[in-house]
Amino acid sequence: MHSPTLIASVLVAISVPTIASAQDHRMQGMTLSGGWRMVPMDSSMPMLPGLDGAVPIVGPFMPGMGMDPAMFPEARPSEVVSMKDGDTLSISVSMVRRTIAGHEMVMFGYNGQYPGPLIQAPKDATIIVEVTNDIEMPTTVHWHGIRLDNRFDGVPGVTQEAIETGESFTYEVHIPDAGMFWYHPHVREDVQQDLGLFGNLLVTSPDPEYYGPAHREEVFVLDDMLMDEQGALPWGDRAPTHALMGRFGNVMMVNGQTDYRLSAKRGEVVRFYLTNVANSRTFNVTFGNARVKVVASDVSRFEREQWVPSVVIAPAERYVVDVQFDEPGEVVIANTVQAINHFRGEFYPSVDTLSIVTVSHDTASSQISQAFQTLREHDDVIADINGFRGHFSRAPDYELETTVRVQDLPQSIVLSMEADTLYVPPMEWNDAMPMMNWLSTAEQVTWILKDRKTGAENGEIDWKFNVGDVVKIAIFNTPKSFHPMNHPIHIHGQRFLVLSMDGVQNANLVWKDTAIVPVGSTMEVLVEMSNPGVWMLHCHIAEHLHAGMMFSFTVER
Amino acid sequence: MYPAAAVRLAIGTARNPSRLRYKGTVAVRHRRLTVLMMGIFLLTGVAEVPITPLAPTDGPLRAVGLATACAINSGPEYYAIELVGTNRIPGSGLAHARAEVSVPAASPFVVSLTTDGSYQYDVHVSIARMKNPRRGVLVAWVTTSTLDEVRRIGALDQHFQAVGTASWNKFLVVVTLEDTDDPSAERWTGPVVFRGMSRSGMMHTMVGHGALQQENCAAYGYDD
Repeated sequence: MHSPTLIASVLVAISVPTIASAQDHRMQGMTLSGGWRMVPMDSSMPMLPGLDGAVPIVGPFMPGMGMDPAMFPEARPSEVVSMKDGDTLSISVSMVRRTIAGHEMVMFGYNGQYPGPLIQAPKDATIIVEVTNDIEMPTTVHWHGIRLDNRFDGVPGVTQEAIETGESFTYEVHIPDAGMFWYHPHVREDVQQDLGLFGNLLVTSPDPEYYGPAHREEVFVLDDMLMDEQGALPWGDRAPTHALMGRFGNVMMVNGQTDYRLSAKRGEVVRFYLTNVANSRTFNVTFGNARVKVVASDVSRFEREQWVPSVVIAPAERYVVDVQFDEPGEVVIANTVQAINHFRGEFYPSVDTLSIVTVSHDTASSQISQAFQTLREHDDVIADINGFRGHFSRAPDYELETTVRVQDLPQSIVLSMEADTLYVPPMEWNDAMPMMNWLSTAEQVTWILKDRKTGAENGEIDWKFNVGDVVKIAIFNTPKSFHPMNHPIHIHGQRFLVLSMDGVQNANLVWKDTAIVPVGSTMEVLVEMSNPGVWMLHCHIAEHLHAGMMFSFTVER
Repeated sequence: MYPAAAVRLAIGTARNPSRLRYKGTVAVRHRRLTVLMMGIFLLTGVAEVPITPLAPTDGPLRAVGLATACAINSGPEYYAIELVGTNRIPGSGLAHARAEVSVPAASPFVVSLTTDGSYQYDVHVSIARMKNPRRGVLVAWVTTSTLDEVRRIGALDQHFQAVGTASWNKFLVVVTLEDTDDPSAERWTGPVVFRGMSRSGMMHTMVGHGALQQENCAAYGYDD
């Protein structure tokens, strides 16, 4: 029989080291081995055994590491560049100095701007963009969503060789569709895109009534950055960190700014062009009590305009929404989600302000305000889609399954993940396990797109089509893997319709280039193979892409 | 035209003649009796089965017509909710009840969220091998796990199906036996026949008993 005192002493002796370490690891910004700093995390979150002081197996990377940021020019806000058919724009990919959340850092920029220049060009134009690489790693420019000539798609090793430091590449960008597109690197997006290499391409329609009337337009590029009290947390050098869930940031930005503010008149209708350039985060954008109408997405307008309570926008997606601010005061545009606390097994509200709109008592012109009340139907979009309805009900031509394989992760992470998968949410709205996520690198995690009919995975998949083919693909995101997660699937060079989710037919179609597949769901898409070349299909979570989740397919003339 | 459920009930009984005990009485059903009942239905056109008309729209919830209910979509298998019977109601002992969740077709996004970020689902409740209760109406509900908010999906139709919506991340689906079909009811009053919890109810909690931890949750400030 042991005395209570003895038992208590033993318990204290056992518990103290663990409790102490659980408190120690909350010392955010603590320098760890190899030049890493501790990943920011909820101070109440316990540390798994064996992870004290653990760092990713790759080394840290910071742009201009060791160099004084003052050596680099200060980046400036994005500027509008209006281009006509045949015009040429020179873009320098360079290192810049930025200040975010009070921290001065070396980052990257297109022409020294954040975001990169907002290119405006008319539909059916061809613009020339001469890109020179002045950063310390190879790069390319991918013209996201544009059905352009395959040679200029910007995929290293597929459509071009990467642009080495000091070298240039000239892109001829033919633009067949109206709408909001964007451009970004296709080399280490997890680093380069996160550091500021992204910009929009707004393609205008010749139809003056392409969109309904609005008092004015605003471009909102949504992003997040992972920072601690010393600035941005380093990225992985030879491979990405955060390979399990992608790198969620903890600082939200609109157009590269943490305090983006707008003003509006009472009753004013503002058209927002939303683009999500974050590595992994899907936003749920709310506009206070203002009324929101969704008008268009990636490659077209919707069949019908529709009132929505919020805008769910996954990485790389775009949405065009009209918002009316009809009450004087401040309207908070926020990312409003129910985050997960795995350790408490609960959801909790998480609201991050993205921007504040100050609405004055001055009244905007009533004609546009009244027109806002009408939901328009887009006959030309419906007529275009009608040509494909004969394919809607047939069986899928291909079935993809998304899954993951891991190797050499710390044992406590493996055990904990396996114990914690009784429930997996359809979507990950926050990084609920920052330490485990940070320690997982693309050298230990392989994300997989699997052809269910052949068993081929990622680069083994060899699909061949002809121009004019209409291909139905069912994409199943299996919940039965080591770590199921949502995947925004992007198809290069083509456009597709999301026909159904889990058998529920989509009632309001729109042409897309990116769509997210929640965990456990099957999404059926209909792809119009209209553009010849070798094109990629991949997950647009930057870390998943670099962890293997991609393949190329061929469309022949 | 004869109510499909009545015919199906009769055919089902014919295939499975069984001896069922209802509140102290013994009901013996034979193939011959069933055929006789069908004959009566056919001759008289009268089917006296306690089928309740579909419930009208109830606030933000909606009940659907028979055609929609028959074309029920499965939703992701992973998030389907198995409803467990209470065995309090005769005729439910062999039944299998299930609720499936799917993104509303009207959503322009592949996931549908409310303004507070909660998932918004269509909830499809269906019961197989269920016998019609002798009296009352089977009604489906959704409620929060703390039961502080309750929303009525609606009365189950002739196929023992009902469709409504839920806009919580954790919720319970409950099927009760009500005296009447009252679309204005804010809460159930009858006995629970089936109940089940959304998959999120299985979310693992490591508070105080983490998979690899020994210490109490108080070590992390969780003392509630």
